[in-house]
Amino acid sequence: MLIISSKEAIQFLREIGRIMNLLRMIRNHPLGSIRAKLIVSFIGFFLLCTMISVGSIWMLYVLEKKIDFLEIANNYMVEIQQVRRYEKNYLLYGTNLGDAVEHLNLARNILTQNQKTIEKILGRNHSATMVQYMTEYNDQIANLGLGKRSQADMALLRNAGSQMVTFAEEFVTKEREAMGRMFRMARHAPVYFIGVLLVMMIFIFITLTRQLVMSLNRFMTYTKRIGEGDFTPILQKKHYSDEFSQLADAFNQMVKELDHRHEILVQSHKLRAIGTLVAGVAHELNNPLNNSMLTASMLKEDFGLLSEEDKMDMIDDMIHETERSQRIVRELLDFARESETHIKPLKVEAIMKDSIRLVANQIKMAKVRMDVDFSEELPPIHGDEQMLKQVFVNLILNAVDALPAKGCIRISIHKKETPGYVTVDINDDGPGIPEHVQARIFEPFFTTKAKGKGVGLGLSVSRGIIRKLGGYITLASEPGKGTTFTVAIPTTDFPSKIMSET
Amino acid sequence: MDMKNIKIMVIDDESIVGKRLKPALEKTGAQVETFEDPESALAHFYENPTDIVVTDIRMDKIDGIEILDRVLAKSGQTKVIIITGYATVEIAREALSKGAFDFIAKPFKPSDLRVIIERAAQDLTP
Repeated sequence: MLIISSKEAIQFLREIGRIMNLLRMIRNHPLGSIRAKLIVSFIGFFLLCTMISVGSIWMLYVLEKKIDFLEIANNYMVEIQQVRRYEKNYLLYGTNLGDAVEHLNLARNILTQNQKTIEKILGRNHSATMVQYMTEYNDQIANLGLGKRSQADMALLRNAGSQMVTFAEEFVTKEREAMGRMFRMARHAPVYFIGVLLVMMIFIFITLTRQLVMSLNRFMTYTKRIGEGDFTPILQKKHYSDEFSQLADAFNQMVKELDHRHEILVQSHKLRAIGTLVAGVAHELNNPLNNSMLTASMLKEDFGLLSEEDKMDMIDDMIHETERSQRIVRELLDFARESETHIKPLKVEAIMKDSIRLVANQIKMAKVRMDVDFSEELPPIHGDEQMLKQVFVNLILNAVDALPAKGCIRISIHKKETPGYVTVDINDDGPGIPEHVQARIFEPFFTTKAKGKGVGLGLSVSRGIIRKLGGYITLASEPGKGTTFTVAIPTTDFPSKIMSET
Repeated sequence: MDMKNIKIMVIDDESIVGKRLKPALEKTGAQVETFEDPESALAHFYENPTDIVVTDIRMDKIDGIEILDRVLAKSGQTKVIIITGYATVEIAREALSKGAFDFIAKPFKPSDLRVIIERAAQDLTP
């Protein structure tokens, strides 16, 4: 017995612990959280239902009592009426007085047994008067039995009798009315309940949907934005925190991860670009090397025969050609060097000239022509030298790939009409890009090039870079007429917000 | 064929190539003309065809393969030697299939080219 009870005690303590935990959880989760809102709503519903159920049970109980009591009241009424009938019989025929007394006693018994309830229904004074009349009537009946049948005694008897009947009737009527009220209440209560329930449900529905739908919409926008390469973190706008705040944290973590991966992607794309450029650079490097080799060989061969002046000329050539090699190597290394993003005011035309020099060999090898048209007095732009070179090199190489021999690439740089941007147009008169391809061309890993010629990262990476610098890339192409990629880069007079954060 | 009667034309848009190859190739006894501009070189060739043409493959206006085609069209027995800056199998194969005598990759020593030229001279029908 003792063991069982101690077990029960432990069980009970556990139960309390669980409830405390639940309460603590609700307290720790701010009310804004959807979970807390759901818990509170369900508790609210539960309490409401419990209230209504208890109320109904109580009402049924009271009704039951009332029905019972109405029966008692009816019995009392019947007894009183019997008494009066026997009284009349006695007065007319002189019989049945004993029956009247017996029924009067029965009525009195009912009255005394239910005194408290009657007092409650009729009021203390009223019921006291009722008892008083009954006592009086009883006395008169007793007098009657003793043979007192004077006119005054009769009047008293009749008065007490009729009062007793009135009281009994009132008693029954009041009880009926009370029961009627009870029934009406029982009929109306469910309607009120449904009303309250409806209001509560509408309120909860609106609050929850607003929170859910609005948050979901917000996150849809974020997803779209992230998909387009904008990796700025999500800022908490609400003053409370809920499940969506945790989601936002997760999103920010993901964005950080994505940004990191994007960096890697940019680097790997750059490596591919370097791979392409290296072929051209190697070719380009062979020219000064060959010049040095030929000059040095001839200097060695004819050393004794050459004049001082010729020797000097040859040595100067060799120095000059070595410097040329050095410049070629340095340009590639500048492009290839891995470095932190370093945003500063830059001259876009200088960067474009460097980029053109880097791809000069590809242009020569592909036998395409290149025209440049730079506006005078371009404002300085905000950007990272290496990143911009990567974008320009990529766009020019794409144009070269798109063109057949003798095709033409036109590069123009202008100040845009909308202030704050300089635009670089890279146009080719190649076959153009079909419309269904245009829509997907900036997607990562989308490529139109043959397998092994490209992995489809160039444009997506370029767009990522330009977005990060606060600019944008657009595309205009008509099949058969060529393609123009336009890169808009913010100038230093309108520093971009995104950029200053990077 | 005696080297003294052999005429060589060198075409390369790098001026130093012509400047250094002229004395180097003249050591073989041949007569050497050098050109930086492929167009004027071709114009000259149409009037005075040479026995051997040494041309760079990659030049701005006309490339070496085109020169090869036009030289051979004009004078079938002329030996064309291609200089490539960036030796690739494809370019070499293309040049040889089109009738080039041989190719030499930059950077090279004058003596390497002289060996090829002497072979070409022996191949020339007198």
